[in-house]
Amino acid sequence: MSEDFEELYKQRKDRISRAVQLKEPDRVPLIESYGYFAARYAGITSYEFLYDYDKAQEAVVKTAIDFGYDTGGAMYSLGALPLTLAFIGEYDGLAPSFVNGPIHDILGVRYARFPGRELPIDSPFQFIGEEYMKADEYDQFIDDPKRFIAEKLLPRSLRSLEKPCSAKAMSALYRWGIEYRRSVDASLMLRQKLRDYGFAGFTEGMSYAPLDFIGDFMRDLKNVLLDCYRQPDKVKQAAEAMKGIIIEMARISARSSPPGTIQFIPLHLNEYFSPKQYKEFYWPTLKEVINELIRLGIIPEIFYEGQHNAHLETILELPKGKTISRFEKTDLSKAKRLIGEHSCIVGGPPASLFLTTPAKVDSYVKDLFDEVKQGGGFILSPAVPIPPSSKPENVKALMDAVKKYGVY
Amino acid sequence: MPTQDNIIDAFLNLDESATRQLVKSMLDAGVNPVKIMEECRKGMLAVGERFERYEFFLSDMIMAAEIFKEVTEQIRPYFSGSASEARGKVVIGTVEGDIHDIGKNIFTALLEVEGFDVIDLGVDVPPSRFVDAIRAHSPNIVGMSCLLSTSIEDMKKTVDAIAEAGLRDKTRIIIGGGRLERNAAEYIKPDAYTDNASQGVKMCIELMRSKENE
Repeated sequence: MSEDFEELYKQRKDRISRAVQLKEPDRVPLIESYGYFAARYAGITSYEFLYDYDKAQEAVVKTAIDFGYDTGGAMYSLGALPLTLAFIGEYDGLAPSFVNGPIHDILGVRYARFPGRELPIDSPFQFIGEEYMKADEYDQFIDDPKRFIAEKLLPRSLRSLEKPCSAKAMSALYRWGIEYRRSVDASLMLRQKLRDYGFAGFTEGMSYAPLDFIGDFMRDLKNVLLDCYRQPDKVKQAAEAMKGIIIEMARISARSSPPGTIQFIPLHLNEYFSPKQYKEFYWPTLKEVINELIRLGIIPEIFYEGQHNAHLETILELPKGKTISRFEKTDLSKAKRLIGEHSCIVGGPPASLFLTTPAKVDSYVKDLFDEVKQGGGFILSPAVPIPPSSKPENVKALMDAVKKYGVY
Repeated sequence: MPTQDNIIDAFLNLDESATRQLVKSMLDAGVNPVKIMEECRKGMLAVGERFERYEFFLSDMIMAAEIFKEVTEQIRPYFSGSASEARGKVVIGTVEGDIHDIGKNIFTALLEVEGFDVIDLGVDVPPSRFVDAIRAHSPNIVGMSCLLSTSIEDMKKTVDAIAEAGLRDKTRIIIGGGRLERNAAEYIKPDAYTDNASQGVKMCIELMRSKENE
């Protein structure tokens, strides 16, 4: 690594870490959310981005260098927590919690559709919620959640594991292990390359809100919401049962995570709930997961997806300076006023800003920083991946505007 | 004997079994099904109003739409004559590449409550199916729904396909979705956009009025 890049790396790392600690860095950090834009920009298809590790790496590195945000990006994949949770306690480590192209093919993941397979070659992958657990199966799940996940959820949601112990199922698991090694090697290599070019990392690993697991992977989002009216006690018990496994996962992951590792927790049901339901069904078990991660020396970056205005105050119940709060549609100035001295805020422009003009990007950043920059503890980042068709001049304009208005 | 107030209250309490029970006893008592349906509509409207005032949240709307769907099915077999004339016809669908239907379903329930005839094309609807449906049904309004930020591109493609088929001036287009805002709308160029189902229905009523005045 050249000295300049090493210096740049330290600067960026320090910039991010000061913001996370609620201090003022030299300027507002800018964290990437390139998503499929990196593929489009580098001239490869979504299919190649998800299936060809070499091409994907090149695309991410090129995009990182050309736009120069503080972080560089990572291999793109879909979350696949059921696999990780099914095998917890069976061996020392954690089974992988992601699905990329080859793994999708090997396991036959029903809850995802991938480009070049079920979708046109240049489409983003899709997550499809399905009802893998029926409304009357809550008791079975609550009774032994790990067993339910391994013996019911996996065969129902993965085509290759439809018949457990069949040759097809066993060979799929074997191939999955090999592919997992290849993909992890590719990820590590990419991380090293980006570090060599002076880019800081951000999140590593993930955790989950217990009730979201039930909504995303078992009952489907709509059904779990209806269950809150139809069988509220079962929903609460299921969230409790889920919490136990997620905390187990957190403890195992902490063994290989140095203190200060940032773990990502994407929330999904949050914006659907009324404050009363949020506090009744969702927040209690999520809060315990977050507190456990903090005890383990991990900094949770909680992505409050969609509109979180109604639940902002609950963030004040978490320990001060120990979490990162990522927002999407939530009013960032309101968040700054309410929780700005309590949790580092990450947020930024809506996806569509990247389809407009550099002048609009510039004025967005100027106006936003007027509201949220003061006192530090703020990181700029588009909350969801920017559109693949974003205009490169707008992606660049975001960095330019941060340099122009973001210095403390 | 249950009354209209009971049904509205049952809706506002999001009480699924009470609402169904009330409808059943009214049907059993021989109350005109048109009148019962009208009362359910008022209940659903009241729920929509609370949503618009931020007193109800999405989960409440999802439950209310579910109850409304159930009672509609409960009452349907009792209808004999033709329904009253529709306020307007809406073709609706979630655009290609997106399979989210919660927003679309809430919007559809509220449109039906306001007396619109809704033709639902489902999810992941390619532009050509929107074009075909416009030709087949001549709707006053076309509604496109999405949740994903990547759908901005697909919405634009759909609007462009409608224009290329020479149908853009034959219908009004409203787009809706949790991630839509002004910049996206300027790019997609519909006649109206919203991220709120209840407001979307008001916009459709407005679009019908402006059409009448042409």
